[in-house]
Amino acid sequence: MNRGIEKDDPVEGALNRVQLNPSCSRRQFLKVSGVAVMGLTAFGALVNGAGGSTPLIIMDQAEGLVIGDPTKCVGCRRCELACTEFNDGKAWPELSRIKVTRNLAYGPKGNVLGQRGQGNFGQGLIVQDLCKQCPHPVPCADACPNDAIILDPKTKARVVDTEKCIGCMMCQRACPWEMMSFDPEAKKATKCFLCGGKPKCVEACPAGAIRYVDWRDLTRKIPPRVAPAVHASPAKAATCNDCHKK
Amino acid sequence: MATFGGWAGKVLRVDLSTGRISTEDTLEKYKDVLGGTGLGYKVLWDEVKPGTKPYDSENKLIFGVGPLAGTGAPSNGRTAITTIYPTCWPKPLVATGHFGGDFACQLKYAGYDGIIIEGKADRPVWLSITDGKVEIKDARHLWGQGIRRTNLDIVQELGPTACVAAIGIAGENLVPMSTIINNVSHSAGGVGSVMGAKNLKAIAVRGSGYVRIAGDKAEWEKVIKHHLALLGSNNQHVVPNSPQPWAEFSHPGVRWVASKGRAWGAAQPPIDSGTCDPHDLNRIAYRTNNAAFYLGNIAWQYTVRGNGCTSCPIRCHTLLRVPYLPEKYGNGITENIQSTCVRLLFGRFFYKSFTDGFLGRTAFDACMVGVYLIDDLGIWDNYGQIQRDFIKIYHEGTIKDKIGEAEFKSYSWDKYAKSDPSFLFDLIPRIARKEGELATVLGKGTGALFGQWGLPEEEWKKDEGLGYWKMGHPQHHSSLEAYQLGAIINTQYNRDVQCHTHQNFLRNGLPIKEQKRLAKDLWGSEDAVDDIGMYTPMNLNKAKMTRWTLLRKELHDSLSLCNWMAPVVASPLKERGYSGDDTLESLLYSIATGEKMTREELDEVGERIFGLHRALTIRDMGTKEMRKEHDTFPDWVFKDRQGRAPFTPGTTHMEKNDLNLGMDMFYNLLGWDKATGSPTEETYKKLKLGYVAEEFEKKGLLP
Amino acid sequence: MTKHQQGGASILTEEEKVSRSIAAMIRDKSREGLLVSMQGIWEESINQAPGADKGVVPEIDLQALLIVRMKEEDDLTAIRNQEGQPRYYSSRFMSENYAKILIRKEGDPLVLIAETVRESSSLASRPVPVAIFLASPFHLSQVEISACLQQMREDRRFQDIRQTATSIGTYFLYSALHLDPDRASMLSEWLDVGQHQNP
Repeated sequence: MNRGIEKDDPVEGALNRVQLNPSCSRRQFLKVSGVAVMGLTAFGALVNGAGGSTPLIIMDQAEGLVIGDPTKCVGCRRCELACTEFNDGKAWPELSRIKVTRNLAYGPKGNVLGQRGQGNFGQGLIVQDLCKQCPHPVPCADACPNDAIILDPKTKARVVDTEKCIGCMMCQRACPWEMMSFDPEAKKATKCFLCGGKPKCVEACPAGAIRYVDWRDLTRKIPPRVAPAVHASPAKAATCNDCHKK
Repeated sequence: MATFGGWAGKVLRVDLSTGRISTEDTLEKYKDVLGGTGLGYKVLWDEVKPGTKPYDSENKLIFGVGPLAGTGAPSNGRTAITTIYPTCWPKPLVATGHFGGDFACQLKYAGYDGIIIEGKADRPVWLSITDGKVEIKDARHLWGQGIRRTNLDIVQELGPTACVAAIGIAGENLVPMSTIINNVSHSAGGVGSVMGAKNLKAIAVRGSGYVRIAGDKAEWEKVIKHHLALLGSNNQHVVPNSPQPWAEFSHPGVRWVASKGRAWGAAQPPIDSGTCDPHDLNRIAYRTNNAAFYLGNIAWQYTVRGNGCTSCPIRCHTLLRVPYLPEKYGNGITENIQSTCVRLLFGRFFYKSFTDGFLGRTAFDACMVGVYLIDDLGIWDNYGQIQRDFIKIYHEGTIKDKIGEAEFKSYSWDKYAKSDPSFLFDLIPRIARKEGELATVLGKGTGALFGQWGLPEEEWKKDEGLGYWKMGHPQHHSSLEAYQLGAIINTQYNRDVQCHTHQNFLRNGLPIKEQKRLAKDLWGSEDAVDDIGMYTPMNLNKAKMTRWTLLRKELHDSLSLCNWMAPVVASPLKERGYSGDDTLESLLYSIATGEKMTREELDEVGERIFGLHRALTIRDMGTKEMRKEHDTFPDWVFKDRQGRAPFTPGTTHMEKNDLNLGMDMFYNLLGWDKATGSPTEETYKKLKLGYVAEEFEKKGLLP
Repeated sequence: MTKHQQGGASILTEEEKVSRSIAAMIRDKSREGLLVSMQGIWEESINQAPGADKGVVPEIDLQALLIVRMKEEDDLTAIRNQEGQPRYYSSRFMSENYAKILIRKEGDPLVLIAETVRESSSLASRPVPVAIFLASPFHLSQVEISACLQQMREDRRFQDIRQTATSIGTYFLYSALHLDPDRASMLSEWLDVGQHQNP
């Protein structure tokens, strides 16, 4: 049943024009620029917070991915510097969207293993933490109450829309790899957006330890750093039924 | 007050006597001297009275970095640590130790351009700096621990991103030949015991902030990439050390050691260093392997990767994994050893020879043992002087004479005689613990051989092989390779000159014809540089290069640019005629800070900082007669061991009149009085050091 | 670009294809540090020519093709070995000096060693450590080097090639035509010992 969507509503119009999944006959969904606008749910009364509009669900894969080889990382952090200086005009490793500093001295597990860990004080490996440009369901985007994580039109990278972002950092709590950054001055989240297809970290690495490759799914290949504390908002979760429920 | 980029804006002041922690405005007080050594000299000038001794609570320890520290400017990771220096003999004067690692950038991200440590804590403490939160904390559980344990303990509290700069037991025990170390292998020489005298075990910094680039970020990106495109290997060597397809030249003596077939053998799996075309900026880190360069090809199989300071693509430290070390040498030695340059060579330098040669297994092992010991105990080498001194006093029987029989017998001399590296476990820890006469004297520095044992300094000054210069410290890239320039710069400091501005260029591997051509643009004439073993009489262009050498050293140490990688006046690019860009410092400064300065204007700031160092030395020596009493040359500089005359092929020994002419020209270029070698009142004023002129007027220290 | 009648246009295109692939191959090989012989060019043309998959041998004048290509792209360079045979490289990826080493490698090793030593002595005023001939791109064995040095002592052509040893026993070679013994000794000592004592 329609939920507050008028007959001449553009969404309804679009829904009628495009039929992408014939099996979802009544619960149709629309692919608009790779996002699914979920409007027809059983839980009709549940609306996401943004003024009655429907939740954004990212569907499209990113075109590319930045991957790192820890056996080549030499710990110079020029990747973090390039990411922030060249994008933000500030040398700010804490904000960097590629994360190396936190693994530099003792490895990803931190200091608990002492010399038996990795990093400069341990066995030497420096692991570069990188955004996996997760496929659907995208944890950071789905956790966002404001649909502020959208697609970059060129690369389909998952990128923060700073106009919509309210800095609540639910996205950060949702990312199993803790890849979200937060700008405490602008009070906005930020994340890897692949620099329009020419990642600056890749360009900056003097050891060729980072590469930009065709996207593939690493979400089940690389162990999470944390157990996520936040997941998709109920409104978004409810829309799963629109496609997946038979 | 205009807001500038680059600087963090605050200098932290910590009084360990009172526990008072305060900040000052960097730009209000110190902008004229930039930071780094400039900051250190200014604080000593303003606040530390002449005659203050290194371990007095009135002495200050100033950690300084500059506006470029923490940025993406290549190689900005060094911190200058300025103080009244304990190994300066017979009278301690101002000098600086420096270290790399990631202390400099962390300090900036925490919001500080420097730390002034004053006073003395009444019990062991460590300083915790986490952004705006600064605390003096109890270090009694750390006192007596090695530097590596100290690091881990503090990191348990502050997290693994904290940078810990710590002293070992050498610093705690007030051994003058001691270091402060951060990030495993980055050590600052000669300053550890000053920190120990203040009961300060460590400074830990964790910063989550940023350094603002004032200028247009696209322009900054362009300049950074331009800088990277001009880089060579470590020490800005611009040709490879073996013929490579892309290279017109090669030189077996340079640090650019990458080649197909030379691999990081202990990377898992190994990584071939490859041919490293200079246009490929993603391979800069493979050009240099200092373990292989110094220890020989034996090192490649043990090389895990390069390492080094934040922001530097060069990776002049090598991380080695040597699996047989623990079983072979015990004593807690680790498989992983990392270091560079003279620190890497510490162990080997103690031995006169090895049956399997300097590039063989035994020498390699000695280096591993050496690094393991000195970077945990926190011991300094004084640019190889402690080892040269040891070899001399051992072989001449002096040790046996000077120390009691009981102590002599307590050493395993049979091991030393066989060049067994395990002898180092016998000697080095004793130096850290000040155990026995020999260890105590060695730990005091060369000056103690003269002062305490009464050995004649003249003997050291006559012997080229001992490498001694004056005031308890050695020559460093002196007349032996840079003729008049090298001799002159070695007179100017109160420790070894620790300057690579000139040496980077002179050893960059380009044939002399190319170097001369570049020299013409840089210093006015081809005559500014000589071919090795073919040096020519002094001329004005050499003096100009000498002045440039020292100003740029001070500029780098104050901006935070590594003096082993800058200036970038030559490049590996044939299409540029191998030229670099002598305006890089001013370009980087202008964009980062937002204050536009030309090369000449920034060099004037370097001259100011260098002038302030001169003033401090004059003031604390209490004399203006610098030419006579400070700027001296050891006798060996003028004596050729094979009796060759000056200016003849093969010799590197100087001629007195010619060198005096060099000093005249050098003083003249700087505006210093020829007779005394002291800056004139006019020069102080021109350098905006009018306050120095005022004080010197009263004290009669103006020429 | 040679002009052809319309009827011959398709042949030109195929020749152009072969010619371009040869140029690319020369550049690739140069990057790897290898010269290309006519044999190599022939093999490449066979692989790229039309009908190559059917085992058809192309009727293309390779020499002419090369000349044209080299006129159009000035990085493609020819160098001749001791027998006068041409070898090709791209100056964009290989220096003339490196090409010279490779060319000499094809011939008499005595000449290879001597010319390398002479060039270093005259152009760079430097003696050469014997050990460099073990490494890339020379790749001579210790036995070969010793044999060559022995032969040189007895061959009139190489009387200018001298040896000097440093204080730690490392051998260097220099040409007495360009360096005097004293200077050569001093330079070798500095390179081998002095530099390492002044790290």
